[in-house]
Amino acid sequence: VIYNSRGFIIVYVLWGLCLQPNTVRSDKLHSLSTSLNKDLDSHFPPMGRVMMPRPSMCHTSSLQIPKDKEASENELISLARSLLLAWNDPLLLLSSEAPTLPHPSNGDISSKIRELQDYSKSLGDGLDILVNKTSAMKRPPAEFNFHFLMSCFRRDSHKIDSFLKVLRCRATKMRPETC
Amino acid sequence: MMWRDVGVTLILSLILPVVAQGARHTPPGKPKLTSCRSPDKETFTCWWEAGSDGGRPTTYSLFYHKENSETVYECPDYHTAGANSCFFSKNETSIWVNYNITVVATNALGNNFSDPVDVDVVYIVQPHTPENVTVGVLEDEDGPFLRVSWEPPSKADTRSGWITLIYELRVKLEEAEEWEEHRAGQQKMFNIFSLHSGGVYMVQVRCKPDHGFWSEWSTASYVIVPDYIPRERSMWILIAVFSAFIFLILTWIITLNRSSVKHCLLPPVPGPKIKGFDQQLLKKGKPEEVFNSLVVQSFPPRSTDYEDLLVEYLEVYVNEKQELMPEGKDLQDVGCLKSKSQSDNDSGRGSCDSHTLLMEKCGGVESKDESSYEEPELLQGQAGSWERLERGDSQVVDTPDSSDGRVKTWPLVFSPSIHGSSDNHHYGTLEMPKQHSTSEITYSVPDHLFPTSTSFPHHHHPEYRDSLGEYSEYRCSRSPSTGVAYHWEARHPTQAHSNFNIRNLERQKEATGLGLPPSRSMEYVEVQKVNQENQLVLKPLSSHGRGPFQRQREMAEAGQYCNYREKEGAEAERYPTQQQGKTTKDGPVATQLQESTCLTTSGYVDTAPTMPTF
Repeated sequence: VIYNSRGFIIVYVLWGLCLQPNTVRSDKLHSLSTSLNKDLDSHFPPMGRVMMPRPSMCHTSSLQIPKDKEASENELISLARSLLLAWNDPLLLLSSEAPTLPHPSNGDISSKIRELQDYSKSLGDGLDILVNKTSAMKRPPAEFNFHFLMSCFRRDSHKIDSFLKVLRCRATKMRPETC
Repeated sequence: MMWRDVGVTLILSLILPVVAQGARHTPPGKPKLTSCRSPDKETFTCWWEAGSDGGRPTTYSLFYHKENSETVYECPDYHTAGANSCFFSKNETSIWVNYNITVVATNALGNNFSDPVDVDVVYIVQPHTPENVTVGVLEDEDGPFLRVSWEPPSKADTRSGWITLIYELRVKLEEAEEWEEHRAGQQKMFNIFSLHSGGVYMVQVRCKPDHGFWSEWSTASYVIVPDYIPRERSMWILIAVFSAFIFLILTWIITLNRSSVKHCLLPPVPGPKIKGFDQQLLKKGKPEEVFNSLVVQSFPPRSTDYEDLLVEYLEVYVNEKQELMPEGKDLQDVGCLKSKSQSDNDSGRGSCDSHTLLMEKCGGVESKDESSYEEPELLQGQAGSWERLERGDSQVVDTPDSSDGRVKTWPLVFSPSIHGSSDNHHYGTLEMPKQHSTSEITYSVPDHLFPTSTSFPHHHHPEYRDSLGEYSEYRCSRSPSTGVAYHWEARHPTQAHSNFNIRNLERQKEATGLGLPPSRSMEYVEVQKVNQENQLVLKPLSSHGRGPFQRQREMAEAGQYCNYREKEGAEAERYPTQQQGKTTKDGPVATQLQESTCLTTSGYVDTAPTMPTF
């Protein structure tokens, strides 16, 4: 909800300032996830990946994304927060499974997943300040496919990042150069 | 048969390809999706490249299905994006959804499917180039600079924050090879400094989304930097001009003073100053004449007249305390001290052979200043006068008469010792009789030299009592059996109680142990001081210095004498027995004689600790 009255502009600006560090975190989160996926792709070619048993969709696919970019702030931020929450457990799972991954550089992968967890945690805490309610937790997928899961996370991190950046831009209307 | 079949096969294999060449029709080759891109994260386009067309007109079609959906859709727009492309509009684009895209090539004979490609729109964002790139030249105090500004591509929605772009620009002089790249972050303006005056610059800008691909470079913008003189350069020009000016002035000054500068820097080399050397002769090239002229009769010195030498090289020591001693005395002293030529081994002559001679020579030696006697230092000064006697032949220095074994007279040695005596000739002439191999050399003290002690007033410097009178003998021998003792006898013991000071320090030159030619050696001692016990502290003079007391060698052979090491400052009442017979009031006079390290058994005088007994 965009408050146009003057009284709320200040809050708006502050909110934007609070968002800035979060967007930094979300950006970093997605970058890390992308590089992780690249590492996995190098070893598991795309064709082979399709052959492996995998879930049809990410477990967070039920979370409705906004149809367009004109979604409200509330929607955006709650979605971001929900996504983040939905990944807490799967990240734990990935982290535990990484060492046994049949991949030449699974040590790197393990450390990157740990980093992802850290960023996710800090981002979640940051967002908790901004949002009051939490969405319902989503069950982790039944079948476990490391690569697939990572690809889901990559996408979801991109979502989070995008939402937060939209929110940031909206919150700092006074300074359009931040967009 | 077989040959025929082979032939037919050959012909057919050769002909058929040729025939079929013109009319070949095959299904199309496999197309390939080259890339899909989205400029705005809302639409996207895919391009493919065709395989071989198989000789027939081939059509391409693109099919896709979204993830988790089996519905296959065909490309909605083949034309917007040009040939072999498919454009997905906003309505057909779902983000965060995987598209599985396939291209199919179809011709009359068949079709061919490309490999499917999975695409997520958000990962393939590549914006258009930035727009409205403007470059301007602005001025500030340091000079002109370029200001580049641009706008984001119109298609990218950066205002809502849907796409976040970062920018990059590059600059170079038109004729330069390498670009200079700069990251501008999210800003849309950039300044470039340090320009070349009058240069033409090219500027280009591009952009990239936070997670995406770089755009193409914008078209180059040209800008001309106006001419200007950089302040920095003008300062350097000023400095250069100034230093050149200073340099010119300096050069002019040096040119004016050319000769003096040259003299200062390159001092002239002194020419040879050899007596008798004639450069002209040398130049004429007659070396023999030149060298002959160098031969001077007086060189090398052939004279062995040591007297002459002695005279020549004597150095008179003037003690600063010795105000009262005229220097002329010294010469006479010297003359007294000199001994005759070394060859006179058996002559037994002293430097002043007889006391009479001595007296004659040293007659005027008496100290005129009696008052000086009161000064202990005078003694020393007196002694000092002997100090610096140098011999032309250093080796000879010690005792030219060493071989003589004579007593060296001690002219003037005792003169100051006599206090208040009108007769100031207190020359302790000690004549050493001819040496005897085992005899004792006795010194006979001339009577006149030894005024009776009674006649001497006891001045208040009893220290000057000499020991000569008291020591009737002075034995110096390390090995009494072989050595020869010096005996300084006072023939007239009564008279011997005079204030003789024996300046008796023989100093042995270390080097003179063996190298002494059959010339006399002189050793000198001086009275260092007089201690409280009325003992003379004798001190050997330096190697250069010779005490007035010449010690004669007893041995005819040259070069043998004792090494005397004096114990400086150590007063030893060496000859206590000597004083026995004396008036005790005189006090012992300690003569300090060096410990003798006599090199030879004979002919040496040994500072034996034994006192000559009376």
